[in-house]
Amino acid sequence: MMPLKTSVRATLGLAFLCLAFGVSLTGCKWQPGFGYNKGHSPEQPIPFDHKLHVSTNGIQCQYCHNQVERSKHSNVPALSTCMNCHMQVKTDSPHIQKLAEAYSKGESIPWVRVHMLPDHVTFNHSAHIRRGVNCQTCHGQVETMQKVYQNADLSMGWCINCHRQPENNAPLNCTTCHH
Amino acid sequence: MSDTNHDHHDHDLEAKKALRPKIERDTNYWLSLEHYEQDPEFMKLAEQEFMSSPLREGDAEDGVARRDFLKLMGASLAMASAGCIRRPVQKIVPYNKQPEEVVLGVPNYYSSVHFDGSEAMALLVKTREGRPIKIEGHGDHSLNCGVSIKGQSSILNLYDPERLRGPRKNLFNEKRTNKDTIGTSWDAMDGEVSKQLQKGQAVVLTGAVTGPANQAVIRDFCQAFNARHVVFEPLSHEEIRQGQKASYGDDSIPFYRFDKAKMIVSVDADFLGAWLMPMTFSKQFSEGRKEPETMSRLVVFDSNYSLTGANADIRVRIKPSQQLDVVLGLLHEIVVKKGRSSYAGNGSVKSVIESGAGAAARLGIEPALLTQIAEDLWDKRGQSLVVAGGLPTLTSKATELQIAVNLLNSVLENDGKTVEGRGGNPGLKGSWADLLTLIKDMKEGKVKTLIMHNVNPGYVLSSEHGFSEAVRKVEMVVSTADRVDETAGEAHYIIPDNHALESWGDAEPVAGVVMIQQPTIRPMYETRAFQTALMNWARLAEVGPARLRNSETFYDYVRTVWREEVAPKYGRGMGFEAFWSEALQKGFVGTPNSAGARSFRADSFSSIKPGKASDFTELVLYPTVTMGDGSATNASWLHEIPDPVTKITWDNYASVSIGFAKKHNLKANDVIEITVGDKKIDLPVNVQPGLHDEVLTVAIGYGRTHAGKIANGVGRNLYPFLSFVNGQAIAAGAKVEIKKTGRKESLANPQGHHSMEGRQIVVEATLKEYQKKKDANIHRHHAWSLWSGHQYNGHKWGMAIDLNSCTGCNACVVSCQSENNIPVVGKKYVLQGREMHWLRIDRYYVGTPENAETVFQPMLCQHCDNAPCETVCPVLATVHTDDGLNAMVYNRCVGTRYCSNNCPYKVRRFNWFNYTKDIEKPLNMALNPEVTVRTRGVMEKCTFCVQRIKAGVNQAKQENRPLKDGEIKTACQTACPSGGIVFGDMNDPNSEVSKMFKKERAYLLLEEWNAAPAVRYLTKIRNNGKDARHEKAHGEGEHA
Repeated sequence: MMPLKTSVRATLGLAFLCLAFGVSLTGCKWQPGFGYNKGHSPEQPIPFDHKLHVSTNGIQCQYCHNQVERSKHSNVPALSTCMNCHMQVKTDSPHIQKLAEAYSKGESIPWVRVHMLPDHVTFNHSAHIRRGVNCQTCHGQVETMQKVYQNADLSMGWCINCHRQPENNAPLNCTTCHH
Repeated sequence: MSDTNHDHHDHDLEAKKALRPKIERDTNYWLSLEHYEQDPEFMKLAEQEFMSSPLREGDAEDGVARRDFLKLMGASLAMASAGCIRRPVQKIVPYNKQPEEVVLGVPNYYSSVHFDGSEAMALLVKTREGRPIKIEGHGDHSLNCGVSIKGQSSILNLYDPERLRGPRKNLFNEKRTNKDTIGTSWDAMDGEVSKQLQKGQAVVLTGAVTGPANQAVIRDFCQAFNARHVVFEPLSHEEIRQGQKASYGDDSIPFYRFDKAKMIVSVDADFLGAWLMPMTFSKQFSEGRKEPETMSRLVVFDSNYSLTGANADIRVRIKPSQQLDVVLGLLHEIVVKKGRSSYAGNGSVKSVIESGAGAAARLGIEPALLTQIAEDLWDKRGQSLVVAGGLPTLTSKATELQIAVNLLNSVLENDGKTVEGRGGNPGLKGSWADLLTLIKDMKEGKVKTLIMHNVNPGYVLSSEHGFSEAVRKVEMVVSTADRVDETAGEAHYIIPDNHALESWGDAEPVAGVVMIQQPTIRPMYETRAFQTALMNWARLAEVGPARLRNSETFYDYVRTVWREEVAPKYGRGMGFEAFWSEALQKGFVGTPNSAGARSFRADSFSSIKPGKASDFTELVLYPTVTMGDGSATNASWLHEIPDPVTKITWDNYASVSIGFAKKHNLKANDVIEITVGDKKIDLPVNVQPGLHDEVLTVAIGYGRTHAGKIANGVGRNLYPFLSFVNGQAIAAGAKVEIKKTGRKESLANPQGHHSMEGRQIVVEATLKEYQKKKDANIHRHHAWSLWSGHQYNGHKWGMAIDLNSCTGCNACVVSCQSENNIPVVGKKYVLQGREMHWLRIDRYYVGTPENAETVFQPMLCQHCDNAPCETVCPVLATVHTDDGLNAMVYNRCVGTRYCSNNCPYKVRRFNWFNYTKDIEKPLNMALNPEVTVRTRGVMEKCTFCVQRIKAGVNQAKQENRPLKDGEIKTACQTACPSGGIVFGDMNDPNSEVSKMFKKERAYLLLEEWNAAPAVRYLTKIRNNGKDARHEKAHGEGEHA
């Protein structure tokens, strides 16, 4: 009987810890938005201006994020894509000079990631684009952002909200996002 | 608790028990000897879901004891409450120039080659963003469709943190006894070596070299410097070549066609496991057995319990000194007793065969059985095949055995039909004799420069051969090893070769088929292809053929050779560029040569002197499926994969029969000292059912000392137990004596774990039973359910596993491990029952322990419709999806382990620790980015490769078309060499898997429990000529 008792005690202890842990987590839940990265807008090594590129100059999203229809990732463009224009455009700007220098040296620019999902979540851009979901639905009015920030909280509840709408006919399996 | 209460409680329990469905216990099948004997300790362990708890004392040694666990928990609590704010900063570093073929997150596949010194396998290498993450079989290839364990594990060799990162120079003292290497530059080394080579007397010592360009570059180099090329492989297949030479006058390896053979007899040739080209042979073998109506029969005479023996319809245990007697016995039945074939009139041949009279009695089998085997062979002549070979046949009569086998094949008219003369890999020229001659020459100072590539004589030769003294007499020694191994330490320069996945090359797996070895990643370090070094030295010395000197890289050289030599032969008049890209895409060109029957030289047979079987215990050395010759063993997957038959991990051991153990009063895990001649070694004992009472078998390939952190010190090195007679290696038949040491050493055998309590799990039938009733031995049940059942409107995924195809090779297990980031736990935790493999192959013995037969059964999550695990999870971490998967949600799991407890198939695994945190860089590059890396405290299990399902479904949607059957392949399916695993949509009546499900042989595991699994198994059929599988009528009346 002894070992059983020990294991019961251990289980109880563990259950208590789990409860405490759970409470501390849901604590975040009670403070809407807190705990997620909504509004996150980190400094970038080059202050890239989406408003200027998209609204003013009318460049399509997919000109730079060209793999978004084929891949789960919406790629940050290669430096070569930037240099298509910036070989000629705005070559006197110190930021563009920084870019050009990195390009000619064969280096890259370490952009800071804005939209982050935990490792146990997968998200597929191409599947959403195919169903006609606009970039703006999740990312907000990027074309007006001089500095990109996270528009939605990207929480699971926020994802599910859309997936639950009958007209979207979207899968609700756990394995849709978690595997 | 009072007594009355207690009684009442018992009564209650009894009543409840009576309500449970009856368990059908099938006592014919057993997992281990302890299980067979119903050892109380074993049965107690089998009842528990977990053999150990995290609260065990021993864990403190690892620093993960309970107290630390709490401390860590405390820390994470603190972080959780203060945290909730920012996640760590991640960087996105885009390409400088976008490579055209790379789409982020979308894998690219490249065809390539893995050559392990014996078999050249076609591969599909899956790369993500330019780095290989998985090695898969090449489904469209004509020879192999799966990949061996070694082939798949080579990805760990690529990312091995202990690889050398650049050329090194040894700062030798005067006597060259030290090993102090410093980094050097390629240019400095090239200059020195090239100068030295011009002094002449150079030798290139390599492992087997395959492929037209790989061979040409060495030929050209030897011509340039007037150098000698010596080929050496520890598993050399020399005995086959010598037998072929004596019998047919040509010393090349034949190509065996197991697919064309209806009756196969193997004398210790482990062709499904570790002999010659097991992946190709497994495919051929299973092709000949897919349809039970026309299936072949396999008879194995086995001195070790080999994988091939485990797949035999009829297995006879022998000792090595009886091998020749087996073949002579069969010849006697056919040629002398029945007077068949033209040799019946040949007196000198007949006089040798005479000694085979009465072989059955000497082998301890029924004379009728031997007669039956001989009859079958003769009936199927032209469609039968007899093979012998491998380490267990390397007795002093190895060549005689080969000649006798050749005669038997010629008598049976198999030559030119199932034995294609000169059809094997022409590069397999390794020879022990050549190596020993070279060492002699080195001692005599006849070698000035020695270049070593893909060889490790320092490991395989015992000190008495004086390799290290000999090598110190050579003026300059160069080694291309990727680490300072047992041999490279003796070299002046260690110039690490690229990994095969980093370099160009080619291969010729069988005569007439050529393949290109395509690199899939840029060299990770300052390494260089061995061939480039040869070319550079020739260029600097300005000697040798133009193509050697003028090609800039080895890639150019390969293309030159393919343009000059390969394209004219195989090009079918195509332009070279078109031919080249076709070869790259397809992975291979050409078809195996067929030679036609050759005339057997009867005089080679007449000179055979048959000997008597010994009266002592004989040593049998054998290579394992996982380690092979022991050359690339610094890969953790290799060690944790259980041996297919013994199921032991992380060790080699002395296997003895039950009779032998009784006689010497040995128990499993006892350490004994074995003595062969003047050599001694201590080994733990494994009591192995189905062994001859006078053999002791041990695996080679273990006991490395300079292979790296993982392989060093695992097991013992048995190579020194090879002896040599006239340059011929003797690996079997030597007299072995044992002495008990009184010590014990635990062997980590996971097969006793996850026992399913003896319920009917595997179903087997003999061919005769099957012919009478196609669903023979399957007990069908009708069960009622409380559940209304799930609706599957779209896909419903299911898997069919044909037990008749499965050879138990374990390739699927490694594939699963690679695909799903499954951690390796190490020997200590395997002993505690914490191995993590999602897919395991259960090996059941059947019959009497002394002569047990084997059945294999791949066991994985059954994705039940009425999954017992789902109903007990308190946090809904395991739930059902609308396409029939039993999903496991890691981020919800709190680790109660109830699911595992309630799973009748024992397929759930718990992360006791944070195993992945110890992955040393750059090994993390081998992880699959599509699959979550699990952390401590989380349950996990087979997902049916949900990431592949999703990728396939998305791809089809993307292209606006319905999903094709067979488009989605699970990881285990891509590795299976025999096509035994079929995955697909059960809702599609025309899918392959639906067709398999409809076969009469298909059955569900534990149907009576009505879990309604999505996996179905197909009965194993044993073509052994018997009326019934089990002599005693088990089953029907045996409900317990």
